[in-house]
Amino acid sequence: MPATAVAKPENGRNKGIFHNTAGFSTLITVTVLSLAWLAGFASRLFAVIRFESIIHEFDPWFNYRSTAYMVQHGFYNFLNWFDERAWYPLGRIVGGTVYPGLMITSGTIHWILHALNIPIHIRDICVFLAPVFSGLTAIATYLLTSEIWSRGAGLFAACFIAIVPGYSSRSVAGSYDNEGIAIFALQFTYYLWLKSVKSGSIFWSICTALSYFYMVSAWGGYVFIINLIPLHVFVLLVMGRFSQRLFVSYTVFYIIGLLLSMQIPFVGFQPIRTSEHMAASGVFALLMAVGALKYLHSLNPKGQWKQLLIVGGFLAAVAVFLVVVLLTYMGVIAPWSGRFYSLWDTAYAKIHIPIIASVSEHQPTTWSSFFFDLHVLVCTFPVGLWYCIKNINDERVFVALYALSAVYFAGVMVRLMLTLTPVVCVLAGIAFSILLDLVLREDEMCPPPVESEESKSLYDKAGKLKKRPHETPNGASEAGLGMNVRSGTLIAFMILLMLFSVHCTWATSNAYSSPSIVLASYGNDGSRRILDDFREAYGWLSQNTAEDARIMSWWDYGYQIAGMGNRTTLVDNNTWNNSHIALVGKAMASNESAAYSIMTALDVDYVLVIFGGAIGYSGDDINKFIWMVRIAEGEHPKDIHEADYFTERGEYRVDSEASKTMLNCLMYKLSYYRYDSGGSPPGYDRTRGALPGNRGFKLTYLEEAYTTEHWLVRIYRVKKPDEFNRPRLPVAKRTISTTNSVSKKLAIGPGTTTSKRRKGLLKNKPTVVKGKKVARLE
Amino acid sequence: MACTSANVVKCHCQKKWSSVTMPAMAKIQFCFTFILFIAINCASVNVDNISSDVKFKNVDRTIDLSSQLVKISQKITLENSGKSPVKSFLVAVEASSKNNLAYIGAKDSSGKDLRVSETTVKGHDSAKFWRVDLKDALNAGSTVVVTSETVFTKALQPYPTAITQQEDQLVKYTGNLYVYSPYQVTSQKTNVVVVTKGIESFSKVKPFSQQDGAIQYGPYPNVAPFTEKELSVHYKNNSPFLTVTRIERLIEVSHWGNIAIEELIEVEHTGAKLKGPFSRYDYQQDLHSGPASVRSYKTLLPASASDVYYRDTNGNISTSNMKVKKDSVELDLRPRYPLFGGWKTHYTLGYNVPSYEYLYHSGNEYLLKMRVIDHIFDDMQVDELTTKIILPEGSVGIKLNVPYPVTRLADSLHYTYLDTKGRPVITFKKSNVVENHIQDFQLRYTFPRLLMFQEPLLVVGFLYALFLLVIIYVRLDFSIHKAEHQHKD
Repeated sequence: MPATAVAKPENGRNKGIFHNTAGFSTLITVTVLSLAWLAGFASRLFAVIRFESIIHEFDPWFNYRSTAYMVQHGFYNFLNWFDERAWYPLGRIVGGTVYPGLMITSGTIHWILHALNIPIHIRDICVFLAPVFSGLTAIATYLLTSEIWSRGAGLFAACFIAIVPGYSSRSVAGSYDNEGIAIFALQFTYYLWLKSVKSGSIFWSICTALSYFYMVSAWGGYVFIINLIPLHVFVLLVMGRFSQRLFVSYTVFYIIGLLLSMQIPFVGFQPIRTSEHMAASGVFALLMAVGALKYLHSLNPKGQWKQLLIVGGFLAAVAVFLVVVLLTYMGVIAPWSGRFYSLWDTAYAKIHIPIIASVSEHQPTTWSSFFFDLHVLVCTFPVGLWYCIKNINDERVFVALYALSAVYFAGVMVRLMLTLTPVVCVLAGIAFSILLDLVLREDEMCPPPVESEESKSLYDKAGKLKKRPHETPNGASEAGLGMNVRSGTLIAFMILLMLFSVHCTWATSNAYSSPSIVLASYGNDGSRRILDDFREAYGWLSQNTAEDARIMSWWDYGYQIAGMGNRTTLVDNNTWNNSHIALVGKAMASNESAAYSIMTALDVDYVLVIFGGAIGYSGDDINKFIWMVRIAEGEHPKDIHEADYFTERGEYRVDSEASKTMLNCLMYKLSYYRYDSGGSPPGYDRTRGALPGNRGFKLTYLEEAYTTEHWLVRIYRVKKPDEFNRPRLPVAKRTISTTNSVSKKLAIGPGTTTSKRRKGLLKNKPTVVKGKKVARLE
Repeated sequence: MACTSANVVKCHCQKKWSSVTMPAMAKIQFCFTFILFIAINCASVNVDNISSDVKFKNVDRTIDLSSQLVKISQKITLENSGKSPVKSFLVAVEASSKNNLAYIGAKDSSGKDLRVSETTVKGHDSAKFWRVDLKDALNAGSTVVVTSETVFTKALQPYPTAITQQEDQLVKYTGNLYVYSPYQVTSQKTNVVVVTKGIESFSKVKPFSQQDGAIQYGPYPNVAPFTEKELSVHYKNNSPFLTVTRIERLIEVSHWGNIAIEELIEVEHTGAKLKGPFSRYDYQQDLHSGPASVRSYKTLLPASASDVYYRDTNGNISTSNMKVKKDSVELDLRPRYPLFGGWKTHYTLGYNVPSYEYLYHSGNEYLLKMRVIDHIFDDMQVDELTTKIILPEGSVGIKLNVPYPVTRLADSLHYTYLDTKGRPVITFKKSNVVENHIQDFQLRYTFPRLLMFQEPLLVVGFLYALFLLVIIYVRLDFSIHKAEHQHKD
C-alpha cells in the first residue's frame, strides 16, 4: 500500500534516533497532548475570568435547567418530565424532545464527584464541561489523524483543534451546549470507524456503534455521521475497494448503531422512517448484494463473472434507490425535513421557514468568517487533502469525503463551520507534518521535539515577519534543499504557527467569550462598568411575580426567563410550534387593543421586551421586530402585512416618518413608553439613531411593572379587565343576545314551529341583563 | 425570702441550661439531653410575686420610633419602701405588644448588664413578666437607678397600607401612654422620638409638648400598676422597612487556619406596599423619588473578613462595593433592583476570617467563640435565624453555650472534600432577632490533633496506590494469547 510507505520511514527513522524509542515518543506524545489539553482548557476561560462562572446565552440555559432538574429528580423522572413552564398552555414533553447526552454526561460527573464527597455545584460542572471536553476532542483528533497519517501529524492536529476559534466558539466555559461534547463524540466515532475498517474486527465496529450511540444521544448532528459513513462505504464500493473488513465493519456498525440510536426517545423510529437515514439502509442493502455477488464470484473466479459483478452491483444500487423513492412516495418514509432541505437549497428557508432564516447562525458563511475561524489552517488544509488523495487508501478516502462534505455544509450555514473545523485541523496537521518532515529530514533532527516546541510556542508573541502560505508547495516540491532554504522555511513556519496561536487566543478572547447576559462597557479611563440588566429583570421576575405568572416575550428569551426567572413562558428557543410563535409575533405587531385580546386569550400576565435604545444595544426587540412581523404574516396573512411596517419608500424606521402601523403596534409602544432618557435630546434612541416618532402616549391595557436600570429590559403587567376604563354601556344594551333564529321563532309564536325545530330549547328562557335581576319571559 | 431561694434554684437551672452537653454522634445521649433540655425548659417557667415594697419613684421613658423598630428605654428610679432588702424586681410588657417583643435588657447606673429572666405572675396571665436581678440587694428606704431597654419588631403599621411610587410612607404606632408596670409609679415622663417633622396626628393627653421630631408627655403623677391608655402616633417614616424573613448562617471551621462564613439571606420590604406601576423614568429623574424604597444598605463584617462574595442563584450581583475600614469591612450592598413595599430579594453573602481570632485551644481542647448572628443592616429585624456550625471531621465532646435561649435542632453530618465519616454540624434556631442579639456563643469540643494528617495522607495514599497499579500494569503482560508475529515495524 502506498499509504504506509509515507508513514513508515518516519517511524523507522524515529527508531534509529532513540535508544528507547517507544518510551521516549510516548513521553512526548503524552506531554504534547496534555499541554494541548491544558492550552485548550485555559484559552476557553476568558469569560470566567472576566465575568464569572455563569451559563451563557440562550440554549445553554435550557440545558442547564434540565440538567439541574435531572440531578434533583433523577434520570427517569427527567425522561418523563413534562414541563408545564414552557409553551403555555401547551407545555413541553422535555424527556422526549431533547438529546439527553449532555445532561447525562454532566449528571454522571456530578454523581461521581458527589460519591467522592466533592461538593461541586452542578452549575460549575456545566460551565466547565465544554473546556474539559475540548481536551478529549484533542485526543480523539490525535487518534484519528495518527490513524490516517502519522503520530506527528496527530500531534499537530491535536494542538490545532485545542485552540482553533472555529471550535472554541462553541465550547468556551459557560457555553453549555450539545456541540461542546458532540465534536468529541464525532471525532471519536470517526476514529473508531477507521480503526474498524482497517482491522475488520467486530470489536472495533461495536465500539464505533457505541460511540455513535453517544453521539446520537448528544447532538442532532449525528445525521452527519450516519450519512458520511455510508457515503464512505459507497465510494469504496464504487472504487472497487470492497473487502471482507469493510463488509464486517459496516454491517456490524449499522445494525448495532441503528438499534442503539432508536433507544433515544427523541430519535425513536426516525432511523427507519425518514429520508435522512435512508442512505445508510440503502448502502447496507447494497453492501449485502455486493457481498453476495462477491461470494458467487469467489465460487467461479472467471472473467465473465466480473462483468456480472459490476452489472449486478449497479442493478442492486438502482433497485435500492427505487425502493427508497417508492417508499417515500407511498408515505412509509417521511420526506426530508425543512431544516435538512434548506441545506441543499439555501433560499428554501427564507421563503418557507422564516423562523430558521431569522437566526443569525443559519446564514450562509462569508469568506472572512472562514479565515477568522480557521486562520492559516484554511490555507494549508488543501495541501493535506492533496497528499491524502495522492496516497489514497481506505481511510484517506474517508477523510477526503469528510473534508469535501464539511466544506459544503460550512458554506451553507455559519453554524456548520463547527463540523468543518475538526477535519481542517486533521488535514492541516498532515500538511504541517509533511512539511516539517521534508525540511528536517537530513538534519537528523527528530520531528516530535519540534512539535512539542510548537505547542509551547503557541503562547509566544507573534513575530513581525509576513506569513507565507506559498511556502508549503515550494518546500514540498524541492527535493535537494540547501541549508538556507531549510532554515528559512522553518522560521517562516514557526512564525505562521505563532501568528496562528496569537490569532486563536485573540479571537476566542474577543469574539467568543461574551456571556451575552452580562454586558460590559468600558469608560474612557479604562474602567469597566457591568450592565447586568438581564439578570436584574429575571431576578425581579423570580421574586416579585406570582409563582404561576405567565410571561410573554419573543422566543429568544424563553429559555432565559425559564432558567433565571423561573416563570412560565409562552414560546422559547425550542421553536417547535411555529403557529404559537406566530401568535406571539402577531400580538407584538398588533395595536394595543388587538394585542390585548390575544394576550387575554393566552392568559398573559406580564410582557417582557428588550429595548436597547438607551445604551445602544443593537440586539434588541425593535431590530428583531421585522422577523416577528414576517413570522406572524406567515400564519396570519389577513391581519399582518409586512409592507405596513415600512415607510412608503420601503425603509424600516422608528422616527416620525415611520408608518402608522409601526408607530402604534404593541412592540413599539412597549419599547418607547415613557422613554425620555438617553442622548442629548431626551428620548433619543441611540441604537437606531433617531428620535421616536410616537411619544408621550399612554397605555390602556398594560402598565409598567419594572424597567431595569439601563432600560434594557422592560416588563409590563397586563391589566385585568376590571382595571382599565372600558366604555360604559347603557343598561339597555347589556342584554346578551340569544341566538337570533331561536328568538325569532319565539317571537312568531310556538305554534308555527315544528316540534323538530324546538328540540333542545328551554321554555321561558330568562334573558340575562347585567346589573339587573333576572326577569322571566312571558 | 422564699422568693430569693427560688432565685437560687433558678440561677442554677439557668446555668445548666446554657451549657447543655450534646455529644455529637451518640443518639442515646442525645435523647437524654433532649429530655433534660425539656425538663429544664419546664423548670425555667418560674412563678414570682409582685412585691408591694417596691415602687418606681420616677420613670423617664423614651420611645424611639425613628426606624422600623420600636425601641423603648426606661430610666427607672427604684425605691424600696418596705422593711427588708429587695434583690430583684419585675418588668412587665402589656398583652397587646408582648408578641412583638424581640429583646429585653437591663443595666444598672454604671452601665453593667443585669440578669433578666422570664417569669410569670399569678393572676396576670395575659401580660409577660421579666425579673431583673439587682447586683446588690436594695436596702429598705434607699433607691437605685436601673435602665431597661426593650425592642419591639413589627409594632409600626404602615397606614395607608399601599402607596404609589412617589408617596411618602406613613406609619402608625399604637402603644401605652403610661409605663406598664406591676408597681405604683410615682412620677413618669415619656419622650416619643420620631425625628421627622411630618407628624399627621398623635394622642393629646395633657400635659404634653411637641417639638420638631419629638413629643413629650408628662410628668404624670401616681399612676396605678397595670394602667393602660392608648398612645397613638401617625407620622411619616421613610426609613428602610426591611425584614430579613430568613437567614441561614453557616460557619465552617477548618483547623488549617480558616473559618468560612456563608449567609443565605431572604429580604422583604415590609413597609407600605407599592400601588400601581413602577416608572423607571420617574425613578431616574431625581434621587428623592421613591422615598420609601430601598436602593442599598450597608453590612458590616469583621475587620479580618476577606474573599467576600455576594451572589444569588443567578450568579454574582455586580452592584456592590466594599470598603475596608479600621475596625470593620463595610459592604455597600445593592440588591439587583430597588426594593419597594412588598418586593423581595434573596442573596448569599460569604467571606473568610482567620481562625486565630475566634478559635482557641489548649492541647486537644478547642473553644470557638463567634457571633450567633452578625450585622446585616442597621436596625435590622430578622424573623427566623438558623445558625449552623460545621466542625472538623472527628470532633467529639461538643458543648454549646449560648448567650440567650435558642432552639437547638438535631445534629447532622456534612460531607465535603476528602471526608470519610462526615463532619458534625451543630444547628440552632431563633426567631425574632434584632441587633441587640449580636452576641458571642461558645462552642467547646475535643479534636485529636493527629487527625489533621488524615486528609493529606488520604491523598498521598491514593496517588501511591495509583502509581503502583500503573507500574504493575505496565510491567506485567495480561494478554490472553501472544501475538503470532511481531509488529511490522
